[in-house]
Amino acid sequence: MSFVDNVMAGLALVANIESFLALFIGVAVGTVAGAIPGMSATMAVALTLPFTFAMAPITGILLLLGVYKGGIFGGSIPAILIRTPGTPASSATILDGYPLAEKGQAGKALGMALWASCTADLISNLSLILFAGWLASFALSFGPPEFFTLILFSLTIIAGVSGDSLLRGALSALLGLMLATIGLDLIYGTNRFTFGSPTLMGGLNFIAVLIGLFALPEIIAMVWNPKAHEGKTRTLGKNWVTFADYKASFRTIVRGSFIGVFLGSIPGIGAAPAAFLSYSEARRKSPNKANFGKGELEGVAAAEAGNNGVAGATLIPLLALGVPGDVITAIILGAFMIHGLQPGPIMFVMNADIIYGLFIGLIVSSVFLFIIGTVAIKGFKYVADIPRGVLFPAVMVLCIYGVFAVNNNLFDVGVMFVMGGVGYLMMRYKVPSAPFLIAFILGPLLEDNFRQAMLMSNSSPAILFRGPITWFFWLLTAITVFAIARAGFKTIRNARAADAEAEEI
Amino acid sequence: MEDRRIHLQLGISAIILSLLFLVVLIPNWVSSPSNVSKMILSPLMWPNVIAGATGLIGAALLLGALRMPRLATEIPPDTDDPARAYLRLFVLALILIVTMPLMPRLGLVWTTMGVSALLALLVRTSHPKTAFICAICVPLVLYAFFAHVAGVAIPQGNFVRLP
Repeated sequence: MSFVDNVMAGLALVANIESFLALFIGVAVGTVAGAIPGMSATMAVALTLPFTFAMAPITGILLLLGVYKGGIFGGSIPAILIRTPGTPASSATILDGYPLAEKGQAGKALGMALWASCTADLISNLSLILFAGWLASFALSFGPPEFFTLILFSLTIIAGVSGDSLLRGALSALLGLMLATIGLDLIYGTNRFTFGSPTLMGGLNFIAVLIGLFALPEIIAMVWNPKAHEGKTRTLGKNWVTFADYKASFRTIVRGSFIGVFLGSIPGIGAAPAAFLSYSEARRKSPNKANFGKGELEGVAAAEAGNNGVAGATLIPLLALGVPGDVITAIILGAFMIHGLQPGPIMFVMNADIIYGLFIGLIVSSVFLFIIGTVAIKGFKYVADIPRGVLFPAVMVLCIYGVFAVNNNLFDVGVMFVMGGVGYLMMRYKVPSAPFLIAFILGPLLEDNFRQAMLMSNSSPAILFRGPITWFFWLLTAITVFAIARAGFKTIRNARAADAEAEEI
Repeated sequence: MEDRRIHLQLGISAIILSLLFLVVLIPNWVSSPSNVSKMILSPLMWPNVIAGATGLIGAALLLGALRMPRLATEIPPDTDDPARAYLRLFVLALILIVTMPLMPRLGLVWTTMGVSALLALLVRTSHPKTAFICAICVPLVLYAFFAHVAGVAIPQGNFVRLP
């Protein structure tokens, strides 16, 4: 089918009230959830997932994408008003957003955050449409050895989501890989860690693990310290962003958007580094660089363009290769699977209408984000005032219903409680949970492709080096491992130098 | 908690976990057909590789911790009263454990109403009336959605059944 045929097929699938309503509700829910300190875009997407079971696949996935887009923008609202980033990606927005709020220009900062977010979101979505199809057509020639090397490469860049300790990130990933082995063996159908229970033969439920890891630890953390996340909300002020302000920052917004697109399309890097890189580039090139960090509107524009530029681009590896770009796209990958769809190059051939329907929905989501964002800025006071002692018990109820609804199985609720405890322990011990989830999803794919490749070659490892594609991914993996090792040694050297200096003083 | 202590505890735990898998769990709870000629294709291979790697990471964490300097000052706890915080965690664990057998007996709606109310009490919410109303309404709204819109068979329990 030609491009136009695909677009028309996609339009036929999404041009109905149900799809656009789901997208609209998704953006609204995401914006509100992102704006509530203590909630996050990841948690919002995870909690929305069970509501999509009763929907058509395209409607459900549009709802989740709406929550994702809204959540990323929503995170900037508390970052500017109460100096608490709603999502980690909004951390860079605090640098200039909060000083502006202190000067009584919170409305202006929020307006610029919204305009920059919508522009970056649009650029990111257009990049997705341009590159995903091209990458997928290239990936059509992949067999098990190629997929094995690709997934191995994706696992090495877990370093990007490992936070400040690579070893803790690696431990988290290994725990995720081990948990993914529970159930029947993929090739021989024998039992692995089922402990004689038929309930465990299908493996652990993905939603139970996901919600347990990402939603419950926040609730447990609130029980540990109910007074956390209390902040003082600033008023919006009377200054609003003007078109002249937007025009003055336009170059920065476009630059930040492309930084976001580039970093977002590489699995594992995420939105926070993109926001900080965009911010530092804007400061380097700005004539007002001395004002950065003291309340510079261009700084807010740069940070928001950087983190929203990632949102569409993370879907490039997801849709084209079936590899999640970050935790949220890992959850969306799970949603695809629950609806019987497997993202990757084959989907561009078998379900091109769904792919192009999603593209159309994503473009429309930028418009919805602008409308809902404008209202959300003014209504934030009410959102921020929701007491956590009322909100989180309701979230707990939502978690229980959501997890039960996947398989009509109370055992899954128990799995969620246990994973909540594990997730909380990981939080206390500063072990990142993102590598755990990504490894839990990619683990079976890695093992399956490896063993299929071995079966194809009668156990000869030479098949893993059979052509230029496998060599390309081996090279990328080697470069990544080298870069990680180098960065690790550099950190150790710097820490030792700092210790030596401190001792001398 | 300081980084040194975190790495030390994580390293020891990872090594114990690795040994537990290699010595007890994999030999007893992973079965492999007798006709698998090559180890690389065996269902045992992958868990063994992961367990071995966990042990190595544990050892690396332990070595890293031993080379880290001790902090001269203690890091203050992240809560005003750690004893009360631990007590709250214990009560939460108790609530979650009791929830499991109660769900099929009382039904999901009534059990979650109780969980929600108890959780609000546990964190001493500043809005008890709102929390109480939410504890009743949220499970009912979710029941209405999942049972009547999504067609999920929500457990009703042995006592009060909802339409």
